[in-house]
Amino acid sequence: MILLIILLIPFITGLSLLFFRKAATARTVALISTVVNLLLTLSLLNADQSVTYSAQWINYLGIQFSLGYDGISTIMLLLTNLLFPFVVMAGFGRDQKNVPMLNCLILCAQAALIGVFLAQNAFLFYVFWELALIPVYFILLVWGGDDRKAITLKFFIYTLAGSLFLLFGIIYLYQLTPGTHTTDFSAFSQLHIPAGTQNWLFWILFIAFAIKMPIFPFHTWQPPTYKMASTQGVMILAGVMTKMGIYGALRFLFPVVPLGVLYWQNLVIIMSLIGVIYASVIAYKHTNLKTMIAYSSMAHISLMAAAMFVLNAYAYQGLIFQVLSHGVTIAALFYLACLVKEQTGTTEMPQLGGLKINAPNMAILFLIILLGSIALPLTAGFVGEFLMITGLFQQSIWFALFGGLTMILGAIYMLYAYQRVMLGDKKVAFAKATDLRALDYWILVPLIVVILGLGIYPQPIFDILKPVAEVFSGLAH
Amino acid sequence: MSALIFTIVLGIIVLYLGFTKNKAILAPVAIAGLGVSLILSIRDWGLGSKYFHDMILLDNFSIAFNISMIIITILIFLFGVDYYETMEFHVAEHYALMLFALTGAFLMTSFSNLIMLFLGIEILSIPLYVLAGGKKYSYRSNEASFKYFMLGSFATAIFLFGIALVYGASATFYLPEIKTYIAQFNGHLPPMLMVGLLFILIGVAFKIAAAPFHFWSPDVYEGAPTLVTAFMATVVKTAGFAAFYRLLGMGLLPLPPQLEKALWVMTGLTLLIGNLGALKQNNFKRLLAYSAISHSGFLMLAMLSQHDSSASVLLYYTFVYSLATVPLFIIFILMKRASDGLEDLTIFRGLYKAKPWVAVPAIVLLMSLAGIPPTSGFMAKYQVFVLSISQGILLTSIFAIIMAIIGVYYYFFVIREIFTDKQQPYPIIVSKINGALIIVCTVAVLFMGIFMWRLPI
Repeated sequence: MILLIILLIPFITGLSLLFFRKAATARTVALISTVVNLLLTLSLLNADQSVTYSAQWINYLGIQFSLGYDGISTIMLLLTNLLFPFVVMAGFGRDQKNVPMLNCLILCAQAALIGVFLAQNAFLFYVFWELALIPVYFILLVWGGDDRKAITLKFFIYTLAGSLFLLFGIIYLYQLTPGTHTTDFSAFSQLHIPAGTQNWLFWILFIAFAIKMPIFPFHTWQPPTYKMASTQGVMILAGVMTKMGIYGALRFLFPVVPLGVLYWQNLVIIMSLIGVIYASVIAYKHTNLKTMIAYSSMAHISLMAAAMFVLNAYAYQGLIFQVLSHGVTIAALFYLACLVKEQTGTTEMPQLGGLKINAPNMAILFLIILLGSIALPLTAGFVGEFLMITGLFQQSIWFALFGGLTMILGAIYMLYAYQRVMLGDKKVAFAKATDLRALDYWILVPLIVVILGLGIYPQPIFDILKPVAEVFSGLAH
Repeated sequence: MSALIFTIVLGIIVLYLGFTKNKAILAPVAIAGLGVSLILSIRDWGLGSKYFHDMILLDNFSIAFNISMIIITILIFLFGVDYYETMEFHVAEHYALMLFALTGAFLMTSFSNLIMLFLGIEILSIPLYVLAGGKKYSYRSNEASFKYFMLGSFATAIFLFGIALVYGASATFYLPEIKTYIAQFNGHLPPMLMVGLLFILIGVAFKIAAAPFHFWSPDVYEGAPTLVTAFMATVVKTAGFAAFYRLLGMGLLPLPPQLEKALWVMTGLTLLIGNLGALKQNNFKRLLAYSAISHSGFLMLAMLSQHDSSASVLLYYTFVYSLATVPLFIIFILMKRASDGLEDLTIFRGLYKAKPWVAVPAIVLLMSLAGIPPTSGFMAKYQVFVLSISQGILLTSIFAIIMAIIGVYYYFFVIREIFTDKQQPYPIIVSKINGALIIVCTVAVLFMGIFMWRLPI
């Protein structure tokens, strides 16, 4: 029941926001709803993982409205509900049009994402998967930046195209289930599909997740979308929605088409590692701060994809840990990039520079988050990436070598960008730039606390993951 | 049967009411009358009565489709209250002709004899030829009417020729008898029978605007008065598919391999041409015409995946498709008025800003046509794919999915225009009844997508 409540709170609050007229009230109500949800999620961490909710939905198609969670879902749920209060807060005190509608869409996106991570039925998963896309599409379309019309359409069609193949895969699996057909995950994982079928089914299922993550070469929608997205839109997109791809792959591929995974394992790892290097090089060469962060995100996600496919417990634990830490870090980074844009009116790095003089505190916080992103020890990023590279090393030294380049190249392009944005001589154009407002601290400081806290004491997360990790490494053999 | 007779009488009554010069009573009488037809239809449920030497078999299949078409016609008439407000002449004829066409549609869902099918198609078509030319002083309306009439009668002639050939071979018009006659050849049909069946299929394919017999539909949809277009895109298509399904199920299945291959090619072509054609359309009515063609493709996919629940999926699909299409045409009319008679996609600009409570339904309806959850359009497509994939039709299903992706593009193109800011030259006026109906349809589309997955059949 508590799962249903967690799912419904944002949805119902979101719809009720449409009846508010005042922007401030709408924002406050949305914030309260997200905070309540965060507290409920934290209370779930201690409970045993047998809490489920199940109701009949469409019997004759074997579809049940069943919610449940395990270690991976918990982390995903935690990440979603941890980030959304900050997403809502990012709107406070800013001049936005139609605030009740915006917050309604944000909360609907939250509800749909929670649904994705809780669904125990493939059809339900698919419905939430699509539902998550719709509010985000409108957030980007209405509240986005320049050239948003063409970019959002591309983003929408691209991601939807992937999901429709996933739909095909779900129906195909549905009709393979014995007896009265069903779309339950548990039934899917018990199918013994012939190896030849698994090999092509793998791609039908994987393409949706590959686009969502995105990994090379399905990434072309991502940088322009991140660049033009509003602060809140990009926090949702980069912080949580990319993780949907990883979650989906873990839910669908490994239990359902294990032979397909083994067959394509090396190809996917190589694709991902190409993505790591490709994205890092572009991030270094790129002159726009937001696009640079977008490519850096792609590099990190690619490493996570590679780690996912090496199929060992180290990489797996590192991957899930990194999901959390990357989500928090990238959301904070994008929030800072948007602050830079607010202060200076641009994110083109050649025009920036010397911001540190006017905004010293911003420069300090930016540096901390940036170090978290390049996986400095004692930040959360280090724990995750270290474990993932250890996992890659067990597969092949070359994988570890190229995977490790994420950290090295990351340090290069991140620090280079920092240099161009924050350091240097004072520029006349930014004479009016001011430091952080009180509100910005409320967003950035807690996120930094999470980044450092998990870096210093990551054990609680591993406690959540342990049972799943054992199952996982058993499955790989 | 009583529903059919009552609807004809109702048409005549409405026609004569036109002499009273009192437009205000036409719509209420027609709608109340259709309400009675609806009740009469429901009373026939489960009886399976036969009429006219078994030429008509009124089983649950036909009653379910009849009820669906009556509901959509009522919807169109309710929108007609506002639509015909400004029209001075011949309003009664419009209502009456639609009612006559509806009776033709009733025959098309309940025949068990080829002659009845022919009669049904003709009774449906002839009023439509007149209705398409409803705007007497508009060139395009006249062109639509003439084009529809010429091509339609040509298709009818081929269809009739097909019936004659089949009769020549089998010496019967009754579908069950034709079925036993075909079965004895074991797939190797004599040429005369083969050609006859092919011609019959072509005649029906013309009615449902399946490629390559779709060329009339964009022109006719564009030229006809918009409410008539809505009628053609929904009720006529529903009737056409009911007839097609019945023709196949009752008489022609299992099809000889050559004909089956031809139908599959038609399905693929319909999907391809419908979706690719819609991509480049600038006129909203033509866009919906091509979208209707592409939906025909999905329906054919469901129909050819021969399965027990095909009929129920067809009913659900046509009904929710109609439920989304009719209000979209109405919203188009409202925007056309606000933009001084333009018909291209830019007329939707500024809708979200001016009337958000119309814009949101419009978005939901477009999403339903595009097949995005949680709308009923998604459920309809999902069930089609469940049918086709569980029948092992994998490649065509993947092709249809790719086409569905293209479909999303042009529907979202319209959604994008809705969010583009622009002041239309005139204010967008939404009458109370139209506003209420648009919202009711939207709620129905969402409700059916979440809670109601199939209709009783």
